[in-house]
Amino acid sequence: MAISAGAPRPTVAASFPPIPLHRRLYGFGSVYGKTIRDSRLAVIIAAGLFGGLSLVLGAAIGTVFPTPAARLEVDKLVGSMPASMVNLFGNATLMGPKLGTLGGYMSWKYGALFGLGAGLWSILALSGTLAGESARGSLDFVAAAPFGKRRIALEKLAAHLTMLWLAMAVIAVMVFVSSNVFGDPSLGDPIPLGGSIGFALWVGFIAMCFGGLALALAPLLGRAGSAAVAGIVMVALWVASGLNVGGPLVAVSPFHWTVNHIPLVGFYDWTGLATVGVVAVIFLVIGVELFRRRDLGVTAGLSLPALPKDVLGVRGPVARAFGDQLPRALAWGLGMGLMGGLLASLVGSFANQVGKDTTITKTFATIFPGYDFATAGGWLQLYVALFYIAAGFAAATFVSKWASDETEGRLEEVLAGPTSRARWVIAGGVAAVGAVVLMTAILALGIGLGASTGGATAGDAILGSASLGLYAVAIVGIGVAVGGLWRTSLAAEIAALVVVATYLIDLLAPPLKMPDWFHQLALTAHMGQPMVGQWDAFGIVACVVIAVVGILLGAWGVTRRDVAR
Amino acid sequence: MTAVIQTEKLTKSYGSHRGIIDVDLQVAQGEVFGFLGPNGAGKTTTIRTMLDLIRPTSGRALVFGIESSADPVAIHRRVGYIPGEFALYDRLTGSQTLEYFANLRGGVDRAYQASLIERFDLDPSRRYKEYSKGNKQKVGVIIALQHRPELLLLDEPTSGLDPLVQQTFFATLRETVQSGATVFLSSHILSEVEKSADRVAIIRDGCIVKTDTVEGLRDLAHHQVELRFAGPVPADEFAALPGVSDLVADDHVLRMRVAGAITPVVRAAARYELLDFVSREPSLEETFLAQYGQVPVEVTGDGH
Repeated sequence: MAISAGAPRPTVAASFPPIPLHRRLYGFGSVYGKTIRDSRLAVIIAAGLFGGLSLVLGAAIGTVFPTPAARLEVDKLVGSMPASMVNLFGNATLMGPKLGTLGGYMSWKYGALFGLGAGLWSILALSGTLAGESARGSLDFVAAAPFGKRRIALEKLAAHLTMLWLAMAVIAVMVFVSSNVFGDPSLGDPIPLGGSIGFALWVGFIAMCFGGLALALAPLLGRAGSAAVAGIVMVALWVASGLNVGGPLVAVSPFHWTVNHIPLVGFYDWTGLATVGVVAVIFLVIGVELFRRRDLGVTAGLSLPALPKDVLGVRGPVARAFGDQLPRALAWGLGMGLMGGLLASLVGSFANQVGKDTTITKTFATIFPGYDFATAGGWLQLYVALFYIAAGFAAATFVSKWASDETEGRLEEVLAGPTSRARWVIAGGVAAVGAVVLMTAILALGIGLGASTGGATAGDAILGSASLGLYAVAIVGIGVAVGGLWRTSLAAEIAALVVVATYLIDLLAPPLKMPDWFHQLALTAHMGQPMVGQWDAFGIVACVVIAVVGILLGAWGVTRRDVAR
Repeated sequence: MTAVIQTEKLTKSYGSHRGIIDVDLQVAQGEVFGFLGPNGAGKTTTIRTMLDLIRPTSGRALVFGIESSADPVAIHRRVGYIPGEFALYDRLTGSQTLEYFANLRGGVDRAYQASLIERFDLDPSRRYKEYSKGNKQKVGVIIALQHRPELLLLDEPTSGLDPLVQQTFFATLRETVQSGATVFLSSHILSEVEKSADRVAIIRDGCIVKTDTVEGLRDLAHHQVELRFAGPVPADEFAALPGVSDLVADDHVLRMRVAGAITPVVRAAARYELLDFVSREPSLEETFLAQYGQVPVEVTGDGH
C-alpha cells in the first residue's frame, strides 16, 4: 500500500503546459471539446441515417418511376388526394408538375421525415446536454470551474450545433450526389448544390427550433419533461400545418412558415426560413439565459399527481417493474392514440375521393402494392404501417427502462434479496410486455374512435392495432435477450437499431428489387393487413415466439454473466 | 484576520420546502471550519449558495470578499470543491477525468497531480464506472485539490473512503492548510470535524444553532462528575453549588451533572477525604447530540 507515502509538495508552482488547440476542439481541453467527443456516436448515426436515406431514396425513386409516364402518374395521384391531406408531408400543391421530379417526390413523401428526425435528435440532445448532466451530478464539478454558467451552456450548445450542421452538410452533399448520379436529367431530376443546401438548411433550422424549445424548457422542466413537451409540440405543429387545420396552431407552426420553401424543386422562401432561424435563436438564448439565472439542478418538473402505491408497484418484481414502465406506456399510448385517431378520422374522405377514379386507384396500387385504396380500411392500413416504427421505438424505451435497473446500479440491491437473476429478467420482460399491452389498448381506442368517424370499420381498426402491439413485444423480446445475454447498456440501442433496420428493409427492398428472402427478414413484412381484417398467422406466431424466447434467453443469459456495477 | 467566507442572513427556500434560514457565518483565512449538521439540515444548500450554484432567496454570501452571485467565476478560480453527491463520466478513465477538470482550469501542475494520484493510491487507467465507491470519491478529492486552491469547500469529503485513506486525506488537508489554504468542512461525522477543525458551526433545520471553537463547544456540555467518599456522602452541600444537577447518592458514591465551570465542585470536594474523583470531558459528539436531540450526556468512559 502506498497510501501513506507522502509526496513532497513543491513550494513553487510549476508552469502549466498549454492546452493544445485540437484538444480544445475535440477531447478533454474544454467543455466544447468534450461535448463534441461525447456526440461522436450520435453524429455518426444521424449523418449515416440521413445521408444514407438521401442516397438510397435517389436510387429508389429513379428505379420506381423511370419514365415520364410514371412521373405523370405521381402528379395525378397527388392531385387526386383530398386537399386537406395532400400537403401533410410536403407542399405538393405548390410543386405542381415538379412533383414528378426526383427532388419533388423526395420532398413530398420524405421531406418531413428529415425535419422530424433531425428535430427529435436535437430535442434529445439539447434537453439532456445540461439537464441530464445536472441530474447525474457531474455538472456541479463543471460549474465549479472558473467560468460562468453561460459559457458552459454556450460551449455545450455550440458543440451540438457543430455536430448538427455537420450532419446537415452530409445531407446536402448526399442529396446533391444522389440526384446527380441516379437522377434522369431529361426528367429534371438533378438537384443543384444550392437546392440541396437549401433543403439541409431547412432541416437544420427545424431541428434547431424544436431543440431550442427543449433547451429553453429544460431548466424549468428537467430533461424528460422538456423533451416530452418539445416533442409533442413539434408533432402537433407539423400535423396542424400539414393538414392545414387553421387557427393559432398553424399560425405558430415553423412547418407552416416554410411551407413554400421547397428547395429540392427550386422554390425558395428565405423569409420563412429566416423566421424559423430567428425563433430558434430566441429559444436558444432563452435556454442559455435560464440556465445561467436559475439554480443548478432545481427544476419545477411537471406537476403530476402522486400515484397510489398499488399503481406504483411495491408488491413484487413484476408490479415494481410495471410501475416503472407506467408513465412511458401512458405517454406512448396517448401520443400514438391521438395521432392514430387523427389519421383514422381522415381515411374515409381519402377512400371516397380515390375510389371514384379507377386510374388513380391503379396508380396508388403501383406505388403501394397490395393496399385497397378504395376502402377506408386500406388507407388506414397504409398509414398504420408508419406506426410500426413508433411502436418499435416505444418497445425500445421499455427495454431501456428495464435495463436501467442494472445500468443505474439498482440491480445489486434488487438481487441482494430473494429475487433470482432469472426472475428479475422474466419479471422485467413481463412488465415490459404489460406496458406494450397498455400502450396498445390506448392506441387501439384512439384509432377505433377515429376510424368510426372516418368511415373505416372500427372493430377491424381496434383489433388491427394489436398488430402494433405484437410487433412491439417482439422488439421487447429482442432487447431483453440482448440485455440478458450480453449487456443491458446496449439492449435498448440494439432494439432500436432492429426497428430502424426493419423499417428500411421493408421500405426499400421492394423498389430496389432486392431478393425476396431479404425483404422477408423484416418482421413487418409478415404482419398482413390487420386493419382490413387480413392477418398473417406466421407474423403473429413469430412475434409471440420472439418475445417469449427472447425473454427466456435473457433470463438464461443473465445467470451466466457478471452483474454490472 | 481576513474573512474568506462571510454569510449574512443567508436564506434559501425551495418553494414550500425549507432550505436555510438567516445563516450567518464567518471563516477566517487559514482556518479549518467544521460545518456540522444531520442529514437535510442545510449544509449542502449553504455550500452550493456560496458557489452560486443556487441563488439565495435573501441575504448574501461573500467568498474572498466577493458576493457569490456577483462574480462566481472569480470565486471558482480560487476554490476546490467536493460535492456531497456526485457522479462523473462513466466512460472516461480516471486520468482522462482529471485531465478534463485540469484543463477547465487552464491546466494544473502535473507533478502535483501525479503526487496526489500516488498518494491516494488511485489507478488512473481504469474507467470511472469500474471504480469502487471509495475510488470514485478519490477522483473527486483529487479534482478538488489538484489546482492548489486557496479555499476548499468540502461536502462530506470522506464519504466512502476507508480509514487509511481518510488518514491520508486529513494529512493532505493539514499540509494544504499549512501552505495557507482555508478549509470549509461540512460533515455529519463528528469525530473527523473534532480532530481537524479549529471552529465549528452546528446547523439544525436550516438555522445555525451554535458557532464556537471545538473547545468551546465541548464546554457547552454538562460534565459528568463522580465522587467516591471515604465517609458519608454530603449530598446537600453539593446540591447547593451553582451548575450542579441530577444528584444521585449511592452508598459512598455521589454522581452529578455540572454545567459550566467545575471549580466550585472541586473546591467543595477538597474539604472531604476522597477515594476517587472522576470527571468526564464530553466528546463533541455528545455535545452535538445534546444540542440536537436533548440526549443527556452520560458517563460511560473513564476519562479523568
